[in-house]
Amino acid sequence: MAPDLSVITVAVALPFVAAAATPLLHRALGERTGFAGAVVALASFGLLLTQVGERGAVSFVWVPSLDVAARFYVDGWALLFALLASGIGALVFAYSRSYMHGDEHLARYYATLLAFMGSILGVALAADLVLVFLFWELTSVASFVLIGHHTDSDASRYSARMAMVVTVGGGLCLLAGLLVLAVAADPALGERTFDLSAMIASADAMEAALRERGLFVPALALFGVAAGAKSAQVPLHFWLPNAMVAPTPVSAFLHSATMVKVGIYFVGRLRPLLLSPEWTYLFATVGLLTMTVGAVLAVAATDVKQLLAYSTASHLGLMVAAFGFENAYGAEAGSFHLLSHAAFKAALFLVAGIVAHEAGTRHIDSLSGLWRDLPVTAAIAGVTALSMAGIPPFSGFYSKELLFEAAYELAHYDGGLTWVFPVTAVIASVFTVVYSLRFLSIFLGDRPADADPVHRAPALLVAPPAVLALVTAVVSVSPGVAVDAIVQSAVDATAVGDAELHVGLPDHVSPPVVMSAISIGVGAAAYGVGDRLRAGIGAATDRDPLGANWWYDRLLNGAEAASARVSPLIHDGSLRTYVSWSVTAAAALALLGYAATVAGLPPVGRTVPPTMALVLAVAGVAAVSVMVAPSHVAEVLTLSILGFMVAIFYILASAPDLALTQLVVETLVLLIFLLVIEQLPAFYGDIPRGVLARDAAVSLFVGVTVFLTVLLAGREATAEPTAVARYYATEAVPQGGGTNVVNVILVDFRGFDTLGEIVVIAVAAISVLVLIIMRNRGETQ
Amino acid sequence: MKTTARIVVPIVFVVAISLLLQGHNLPGGGFIGGVLTTGAFALIYVAHGLDYLEVGVLGRDVEPGAGVFEHRTVTAYERAFILGLAIAIGSGFAALLFGEPFLSQTYEIVHDVPIYHEIELATALVFDVGVYLVVVGGLLTILSVVGAE
Repeated sequence: MAPDLSVITVAVALPFVAAAATPLLHRALGERTGFAGAVVALASFGLLLTQVGERGAVSFVWVPSLDVAARFYVDGWALLFALLASGIGALVFAYSRSYMHGDEHLARYYATLLAFMGSILGVALAADLVLVFLFWELTSVASFVLIGHHTDSDASRYSARMAMVVTVGGGLCLLAGLLVLAVAADPALGERTFDLSAMIASADAMEAALRERGLFVPALALFGVAAGAKSAQVPLHFWLPNAMVAPTPVSAFLHSATMVKVGIYFVGRLRPLLLSPEWTYLFATVGLLTMTVGAVLAVAATDVKQLLAYSTASHLGLMVAAFGFENAYGAEAGSFHLLSHAAFKAALFLVAGIVAHEAGTRHIDSLSGLWRDLPVTAAIAGVTALSMAGIPPFSGFYSKELLFEAAYELAHYDGGLTWVFPVTAVIASVFTVVYSLRFLSIFLGDRPADADPVHRAPALLVAPPAVLALVTAVVSVSPGVAVDAIVQSAVDATAVGDAELHVGLPDHVSPPVVMSAISIGVGAAAYGVGDRLRAGIGAATDRDPLGANWWYDRLLNGAEAASARVSPLIHDGSLRTYVSWSVTAAAALALLGYAATVAGLPPVGRTVPPTMALVLAVAGVAAVSVMVAPSHVAEVLTLSILGFMVAIFYILASAPDLALTQLVVETLVLLIFLLVIEQLPAFYGDIPRGVLARDAAVSLFVGVTVFLTVLLAGREATAEPTAVARYYATEAVPQGGGTNVVNVILVDFRGFDTLGEIVVIAVAAISVLVLIIMRNRGETQ
Repeated sequence: MKTTARIVVPIVFVVAISLLLQGHNLPGGGFIGGVLTTGAFALIYVAHGLDYLEVGVLGRDVEPGAGVFEHRTVTAYERAFILGLAIAIGSGFAALLFGEPFLSQTYEIVHDVPIYHEIELATALVFDVGVYLVVVGGLLTILSVVGAE
C-alpha cells in the first residue's frame, strides 16, 4: 500500500510551522513552550505511526523545469529514523521545560529545536536528492545555533563554529556526491533525475554507469566524507566532544540520538545502491577505527558529558562499520543498534544532565555514591549503561553480537588481513566495557565526605529518561517485539537480498559469543586498573599532532592569516585597485571561456565605409589625447568627444535608439563631471614607472579581450539574422503593437530584464543616500 | 547660462515627454526620456542651484541650513523613483489578474479620436512610465545629493 502524501507532508511541515509560531507561543505560554513543542513532536510521531508498514514513494512537483520534486520515500528504515527523532524529540521538549528553567533565550531555543526536528524528519523521508541536501544542511545550521546557545561564552562560539565548519564542509561533499549520482542517472535510468528511490530501485544499472565513467570511487569517497563529518567519524570526530558545550537536552537530542545519526542513516540508505568491496573497505575500516579511538578516548575522559560524547562517536563507528560489512548481519547490526543506541544514549545524556543539575558538577572523579540521593536516576543509568557496555541481556549486547557475527563472517570467508576487523571490534568493545563501568561508578560507593548536598531531581526531569530506559528494558527483555514492530522492515530496506533478523540470547557457544565473553571479561579486569590505564592513554594522546583539534586550529588560523595577508592586496579601499582587479579578472575569465569553447578566430577582412573610419579615427585621437591632457577639464571634454563620436558611429550603423541614449547619457555624464571636478585635486603627483607599466598592461589586456569578444561575437552585417532576431522583428507589431523593435523588446518581450535594471537604478540611488547619510553621522567604520 | 536654460529646458522637457510617449513606435522610450529629463534638471541646477525649484518656481521658502536629505525636492525625487518602481511592478502584477504571466503586455488601437484619428493604447506604456520615473527619480537623487557635497 502506498503511503499517504498528505500525512507525510504534514508530519514534516508541522515542526517548521510550529518553529515559526514559537515567538508568539513563547509570549503566550512562557516557559511552558516546552510542552507545546512536545505536543508538536507527539503529533508528528502519531502521524508517522499511521504509516508503519507502508512502503513506496509519493511526490508533488516543485520545480518542474529542473525535475525537482518534493518526493518522499517511506520504508522501514526511513520510518525507524523518523519515529526515533520525533519520539525522542517529544521527551527532550518535556525535559527542557524543567532543565532550561530561567534561560533568557527560550524562544530561540525552542524555535531552533523545532526546526531541527522538522529537518531531521525531512532527511529521513525525502527521496529527492535536492531535498535531502536541503534538509541535511538545515540540520547543520540548527546544530550550529544550538551549540552556540550561550552566545556570550567563547567556548560556545568556538565549538559552534567548529561544528559548522566540519558538518557543512561535509555537506558540500554530499552535494558533489549527489550531483555525481544525478549525472550517472542519465545513462542508467534514461533521464537526468534527482529521484533517489528510482536510483535505488535500479541499483545495478547505477553502479554500472558509475563504474563506466570512473565515478564510483569518487562518489563513494564523497559520501564517506559527508557521512563521516556528520557522524563524527575519525578523523572528523573532534567537533562532537566540543559540541558538548550545548545545553544537555541538545546534546541528548542532536549529538547522540538524531543529528549525528544522519550520516549513518544516509549510509544505510545508500547501502543497497553502492554495496561493493570498496564500500566494505572504506566504511568498515573507518567505522572500526572510530569505534576504537572513541572508546579509548572515552576511557580517559574526566567529564561525564565528554565521556558520553566520545562514547557516542565510538557507537557511531560501530554502526558505520556494521553497514560497511557486505553480509546481511551488517545491515541487521546497524539497524538494530540505531534503535538501541538512540534509546540508551539519549537516556544517559539526560541522566548526565540531572547529575549536573542536582550535584553541581560533571567531574567524574568528584562524583560517587549518587544512588542514595538519586535512586530512580541511578536505576535508569544502570539499565542504560549496561546496555551501552553490551552486557547480556541488555539491548546493546544483541547489536554487538550481530556486529561480531558480521566481522567474523567476513574474516572467515576472506581470511588474511580481514581478521583485523573482528580483532579491532573486540578491542573496542573492551574499552566500551571499561568506560561504561566508569560511568556507572559515579552512582556506586559512598558519597565523598566534603561533597555538597544533592537535591532530589524533579519528576519532570526524571520521567523522559525513565521512558527511554523503559524502551531499553523492553528491547532487552524481548527484542522480538522491536524487531517485529519496525526493525525487520528497516533491515529489509538496507540489506541486499533477504535478511531474516534473529536476536536473542545465545544458546550455544559460537565465535561471536566467545568474542563477547572476551570483551566483557577483559573489560572488567581492565576496569580494575582503570587509573593506570587512563594515565597511559593520557600520556599517549597528549601530543599535539595526534589531536585532530590541533590540525583544525592550525588550518583555520592559517586560512585566517593568509586571507589577512591577501585581502589588502585586492581591496585596499582605493577605487583604482578595485577597477584593475575586477576588469582583469573579468577579462581573464572571458579569455578562459573563449579558450575552452572557441575553435579558431574568424577571418578578419571587413570593409569599413570611409565615414565610419573617419568617426572612429577621431574617437581614437580623442582617446589618446585624454591620456596626455594637461588638466581635468580638458580630460573630461576630450572624453566626451570620444563619447559623441561613438554616438555618431551608432547613427551611421543605423541604430537610432542607441545613438539617442548615448548622446543623452554622454551629456549627463559631462554635466556630472563638471559638477564634481572642483573637488578633485589638480595634480596627483608623479606616478612611479612600475605603476604606469602595470596600468598600461591591464588596459592593453582588457582592450585585447574586448577586441576578441567583438571579433568572436560580432556577425557580418550581411549575414542572415538569427532566429531570435527574426522573431523579434516579425512579432514586434502583431504581439507588442509597436514598430520600434528595440522598445518593444525592452518593455514587452524582455520586460523582466528591464524591471531588473530599474531596480538596480533604485538600489544605486538608495546606496548613494545611505553612504552619504552614514558619512554625515560620522559612521566611518 | 540662465538665459540658455530658460529657453532650452522647456524644449528638452517636451522632447523628453514625446520620446517617452512615442517610444513604442519611434526611437525613444522610458529610459531615454528619463535621462533626457534628468539632463534638463541638471541644467537648471548648474544655472540656478538646488533651491531654485522651491523658491523660484513654486514660490516656497526653504529652511536655510537644513541638510540635503531634508530638502523637499530631494524627498520628491526619492518618492518619484519609489513610485516608478511601484508602477512598473504593479503593471506586472496587473497582468496576473488577467491570468497572464507576470509582466505580459497587450495593446488596443482606439479609432475615431478627434485630431489623431486613431491612437494606440499599449499597456507597455504604463511600464515605460514606471521606468521613466525610476530613471528620473534615481538619477536626480544621486545628482542632487552628490551635487550638494
